[in-house]
Amino acid sequence: MRFNEKELVFLSRQPPERAAELGMRGPKKGDVVKRRLVKLIVNFLFYFRTDEDEPIGALLLEQCRVEREDDQVFSIVFLDEAERKYLFECDSQEQCVEWIDAVVKASYEFMRKNLIYYRTEIHRLTGKDPLEQYGISDETRFQVNSGLPPPPT
Amino acid sequence: MRLFENSPGHGCTPGGVVMKIHEKILTHYLSCTSPVDKEGYLYKKRERNTTYLRRWFVLKGNLLFYQERPGDRNLLGVIVLEGCLVQACETDGQFCFSLVFTGPGLRTYRLAADDHLSQESWIGALFCASHIYLSMIVRDLERRYEEAKKDKGLCDSIQTSAVTSSSNNIMASWNSGQPYFVHGTSIVPRDGRSYSTSSVPPPSTQNRPISYSLHAPPIQFKTTNKRSPKLWPKRNAHVIPLNGPAPSYGEWPVVNFDPLEEFSKLHEYYGNEIKQLRAEWLKKKRGEVGHVEEDLIDLG
Repeated sequence: MRFNEKELVFLSRQPPERAAELGMRGPKKGDVVKRRLVKLIVNFLFYFRTDEDEPIGALLLEQCRVEREDDQVFSIVFLDEAERKYLFECDSQEQCVEWIDAVVKASYEFMRKNLIYYRTEIHRLTGKDPLEQYGISDETRFQVNSGLPPPPT
Repeated sequence: MRLFENSPGHGCTPGGVVMKIHEKILTHYLSCTSPVDKEGYLYKKRERNTTYLRRWFVLKGNLLFYQERPGDRNLLGVIVLEGCLVQACETDGQFCFSLVFTGPGLRTYRLAADDHLSQESWIGALFCASHIYLSMIVRDLERRYEEAKKDKGLCDSIQTSAVTSSSNNIMASWNSGQPYFVHGTSIVPRDGRSYSTSSVPPPSTQNRPISYSLHAPPIQFKTTNKRSPKLWPKRNAHVIPLNGPAPSYGEWPVVNFDPLEEFSKLHEYYGNEIKQLRAEWLKKKRGEVGHVEEDLIDLG
C-alpha cells in the first residue's frame, strides 16, 4: 500500500506533543527491548533509532488500547485480529502515566467524541450551534445523532 | 540507511530511507465499525504522468484511502492529511482540486471530481479533516463550554438589553482551519462586497473561481438596534485566486506547526479589526440620547 512517506517524515520533524527515549519492544515473539526515540505527533507515534533523524516507523494511534503493564511500563495493543502489543518502558512512574494519558488523548476518534460532546453541551446551554460560525456544522464528521436544530438551508 | 524494495507497508522513496507504516493498523481503522467521513469516486492524477485514474476514495479521520473500486480488499494507498492545503484548481480542467503539502520537496496530489457539487463537498470535507484542525476546534469549544456554563449561571439573573453578541463568538471566531498560514498572501479577502453569513458556502458560477471559505459571523444586534449588523467579508483561507499564476515556491506561506503560536497571531491580527469596531461603536453610542454605558463586547 502506498503512502505519502515524505510528508509523514516531514510531519515527524514537527514539534511533538511529547517525545522521549523509551525502551520499546515489538509484538513478535522474540522481539527484544530496544532504546528508541519516541515522538507523539497528532495521532501517530513515530519511533527513531536514538542516533538517527529519520523515523524507522509510525504507529497510527487509532483502534488501540493503552494499558499500564507495570510501574514504569505501558503497552499499546492494536485491536485487529492479531492484537499486536507494543511495550514501552519509561524512566519513571510519572513519565509512564503522562505517556498513557497523552497517547489516549491523541486519538482522532477520542477528540471527535469530545468535540461532539462540547457541541451538544454548548447548544444546550446557549441555544446556539458553536460550529456554525466556522462554517462546518453540516460536515458529517461532526454530527450528533440528536439534540441539534436542522442545518440552515 | 536501509533500503527495501516495495515490501508491504514500506514507503517507495527511491534510494531513500524507508519508514514502516504498519499497514494492518491502518486497514483495521478503515474497516472497523466507526463510520467513514466521506467516500466516493474521484480522479487522481498519476505522479509522473498526466493521466487521471478513477479511484474509490474513503476519508476517515485524517486519512484518505484509495482503491480501485468500493469493496476491494486491496487498498492501493493512503494519504495522511496533515500539513496540506486544500485548494480548488482549474488548471487541469473542471472540478479539479489539489492537496498541496507545504514543505521542501513535498508533493501535491491532484484530484478531480465528477461535478461541481462533488468538488465542493470533497473540498469541504478534506479542509476540516486534519488532526491539527480538529484539535484547534476542540480546544476552542472546550473554552466556550466553560464560559457557557458560567454565563448560564449569570444570565438566569440578569436581563441583557442591547447587544447580544458574546465575546466568545467574536474573539474566537476567526478560524482559518489550518493554523499554518499567517502570511497575508494566503488569506485572500473576497471582492469588496459583503455577504450575509450562513454556514453554506456561496454558490459559484463557472466564470468565478470556485472556493471554499470560512467566514466569521456578523456582530449580532438585537432587532431593537436600528443599525444593521456589520457584515464580514468572506475570507478564503485556502484558495489562492486563479487570476494570476500560483505563487512561486518561495512565496508559499510558511508552514509552522505550532498551532498555539499561529493561532495567537491570527487572533491578534483579526482582533485589531474588532477593537476598532468596538471603539467606533462606543464613540457613536456615547453620542446617542438615553445611552446606557455598556461595551459592545462583554469581556467579562
